[in-house]
Amino acid sequence: MTWLKLVEGYMPMQMISELAGSILIFALANWALNRAGMGIPKFWAGVGVWIYIQLYLKYRIYPPIPFSVRAIYGTVSACGIFMWVSGSEDAWQEFKRPVMNVMDGISGFHKAVRTVALIVIPLALGGFAYTSFLPSFEEPIELRTVHPAPPATTKVHGKTFVLQVVENPYRVNNEGKYDQAYTDARIVEQAMGRLMKDVNDPNYNPWDPNAEGYTKYVREGGEIFFQNCHFCHGDNLNGRGLWAYAFNPIPANFTDAGTIAQLQETFVFWRVSKGGIGLPGEGFPWASVMPPWEQHLTVDEIWKVVMFEYWHTGYYPRTWD
Amino acid sequence: MGRLTSGRTGKKFLAVTGLFVMGVMLLLPVFVALPALAGGGAPAAGGPPPDVVAAQEAEGAEGEEEKVEIGRDVYYKTEGPVVGAPAPKTQDTPEFYPRYNFESRVLLWVANQQHLYYGSFVLAVPIFCMCIEFAGLVSKDKAMAKKYDQLAYDFIKISLTAYSLTAILGGILIFTFLTLYPAFFGYLSSIFRPVMHIYALMFVAESGTLYIYYYGWDKMKEGMLKWLHASMSVVLNVIGTVLMFLANSWIGFMMSPAGVDEQGRYLGNIWHVLHTALWNPLNVHRILGNMAFGGGVVAAYAAYRFLSAKNDEERAHYDWMGYIAMALGVAFLIPLPFAGYWLMREVYAYRQQMGITLMGGLLAWLFIIQATMIGILFLTTNYYLWQALGRMTGGERFQRYIKYFVFILVVGLLVFITPHTIVMTPAELKAMGGQQHPVLGNYGVMSAKNGGINAIIMTTIASFIWYQRGNRVPAVKWAKFGNIFLITFFVVAHLNNIWVACYGYFIPANVRIGLSVPQVAGTLSCLFIGSALNLAMLKQSRELGPIRWGQIAPRSQYALIMLATAFTWMMGLMGYIRSSVRLFWHVNEIMRDNSPWAYTHTIGFGANVISFNVLFFWITIMFVFWLGALGAKKAPVPATQPVPGAAPQPVTGH
Repeated sequence: MTWLKLVEGYMPMQMISELAGSILIFALANWALNRAGMGIPKFWAGVGVWIYIQLYLKYRIYPPIPFSVRAIYGTVSACGIFMWVSGSEDAWQEFKRPVMNVMDGISGFHKAVRTVALIVIPLALGGFAYTSFLPSFEEPIELRTVHPAPPATTKVHGKTFVLQVVENPYRVNNEGKYDQAYTDARIVEQAMGRLMKDVNDPNYNPWDPNAEGYTKYVREGGEIFFQNCHFCHGDNLNGRGLWAYAFNPIPANFTDAGTIAQLQETFVFWRVSKGGIGLPGEGFPWASVMPPWEQHLTVDEIWKVVMFEYWHTGYYPRTWD
Repeated sequence: MGRLTSGRTGKKFLAVTGLFVMGVMLLLPVFVALPALAGGGAPAAGGPPPDVVAAQEAEGAEGEEEKVEIGRDVYYKTEGPVVGAPAPKTQDTPEFYPRYNFESRVLLWVANQQHLYYGSFVLAVPIFCMCIEFAGLVSKDKAMAKKYDQLAYDFIKISLTAYSLTAILGGILIFTFLTLYPAFFGYLSSIFRPVMHIYALMFVAESGTLYIYYYGWDKMKEGMLKWLHASMSVVLNVIGTVLMFLANSWIGFMMSPAGVDEQGRYLGNIWHVLHTALWNPLNVHRILGNMAFGGGVVAAYAAYRFLSAKNDEERAHYDWMGYIAMALGVAFLIPLPFAGYWLMREVYAYRQQMGITLMGGLLAWLFIIQATMIGILFLTTNYYLWQALGRMTGGERFQRYIKYFVFILVVGLLVFITPHTIVMTPAELKAMGGQQHPVLGNYGVMSAKNGGINAIIMTTIASFIWYQRGNRVPAVKWAKFGNIFLITFFVVAHLNNIWVACYGYFIPANVRIGLSVPQVAGTLSCLFIGSALNLAMLKQSRELGPIRWGQIAPRSQYALIMLATAFTWMMGLMGYIRSSVRLFWHVNEIMRDNSPWAYTHTIGFGANVISFNVLFFWITIMFVFWLGALGAKKAPVPATQPVPGAAPQPVTGH
């Protein structure tokens, strides 16, 4: 159903709203049918709603949701439907009536269904067991720790940085003092895309020839990014660079709310400096080909490029004060 | 008349004396331990480990000259005289880690978890007893007062057998520590020597108070003595809470040590050792958790008795007991996520990497399992309440709206349990185009999860309000206005919750963390204002019919059992997570774990051991329940027909 687009920036709420809307339509339709004396039996209503949710998750949401998550959603929605159909005694009796009718074989038809069920269900279970024991040639699942815990300190170019307290030396205000709020006010805006607040103002546009201080450092960070990083992380910082698909997993998407937006700036500094090879034991299976950039960039360059990443994505580094 | 007055004065005197004795008993351990506290502790108890002895001997040979060495507190950064031995530097040898042909860590894990289960239970149940006994005391309805009293007695009866088991398991735990981890335990006891003595003495005081409280139930059932009896439950709970706080200080020290220098040497300030960065959040979180767990276990007991009841009277009693236990448990379950949030916040503030290991890194998937368990708890609670509406005339008015509540709960839960790090095959990873899903990835972060859990909690509160109204219609003059206000209040709270959850994506993390305050405030307002307003409206109400205790669907009782099992499983899980976050440290950054088991287990193995612990606990607690039922079955011996030559029979009034 890709003709009906999910709108970037609104996708999470859009999914919930669409589900809520569909459930409401089901409820209204059922109410109308009940009024007309043609109400859908609770059993089929429950089964129908569950199937609808699974189809919605499989075919409506793009890119495809991994099976593990669909399994979680399927189980939770099944529990929810059970709570609904057995919430009251009347509803429960109504729900289980078709099942009991088949179990009791109250008519020839029900007896036939019972016979078919007694043959098909064990066969299906046997088939499932058989296929699950067949050898598989798929790569095994790896539960990868995307953001392993950083060490307390890291040594870059002979200098030790205490990651809990160290600050980006270029995140400064006009007076040259560290100022998180000042710099936060100058990042791009997230709306329907990511836009500079004022292209004509050197306080907001790093590529303005008059840009000074923070915005100038952002430009310098940008230059470093486009010389070194964009081949993999992409010119939109979304992990879709020229070489991205040569790797598995593909490089990190900084525009996603789950990557740099969740991290302290010092974490990103550490990851950039040490690269995939410097991941701790917790980072098993160390599936990252990022080079240890401390071998190619100076400490100052790393700080600037990190700052550029936050500026460009419109995210704020995590802080604890 | 004169004799009656003198009898009353005598009882009063007895009561006052009794209270005084209890007060002295309570303070006794503190007095006894004062010299130890003043002394500030000496070198390791039970003999220091071999490497420490060698170091001390070498030091002694260098010179006899006495000088006070000053050390710097690793947490408080204050200076103090070094009065303890350094933390032992262990090696992977049987000398430091004696072992069977089995993983010592798992043995310790099981012993610890079982002790904790029973400890939590016997700390929580007397708190319930206290509340219920007081409810009975202040109740004007005599029949109700008697019912409450019987219920409180039923509660304490269960906890008494469990109390013995707690002590036995505590002994097993200590032996396990001493025999399998002697170096570590020697170090810990050298730091906490005075605290451990106070702990032991408090345990004695707790036992004494508990036995007087239980066996004195019938003797102290009227007048001033009844008040004395109820006051005894307060003393009992004060001692129990202090006991728990002391035990918490040990794990607080292991996670976030203080009061020692970088080598782990004690600096003479016992308060610093106790009052570590995580002590208070742990205390609050554990006390709430214990209460919720205790409520769950008692509710499961009641459900078991309900399902095996032989007559309507029994069924009605255990239906009511299950409801009260569930309500008490859930009352403490509601603030539990907020206490957990505070604990995590303090963990992050203490060590960033510890927080990331927990919630974003190595142990993050266990938190998804935890979120699932929390969801199960709340969903089950709602389900039970909806079933309970069925035993009220008029309850059906609300049951038709269940589907809308189900929708909010399910959506809230789906958001709450969406993992940040998704399990997927490499093929799925490629198809998804990266580690993060553009739609679901947004549910994987804190902002959305706060929204999800608050929506669930608010819906649970609404279900409670429904339940309170089940068979009653408010008859106050302002009922219509009250209803409109109540509905508007909940709708606004939900909208505020959704808005804040979305807004959280567009602001810095420090502001976002602060935004949880209006979210929580909205939820707590629903709880306090909503419940208070509802109760005020029901002060004058029209009853549609009585509550038909005992006439509830058996499904509801299975829900109670599920609630208790989920509590047990979650408690085991969270204990494992809390302990695992130290990774390869016995005492974080002070004493390294050099045993062969200093690695983090796989999720599957961890889950299996947790499940084993849960199963073991439920098997043993079933035995405790069976013992409780056995006592109840004993037929009272009529006082008018004494058995010739028999010993005097115990009071069987209860």
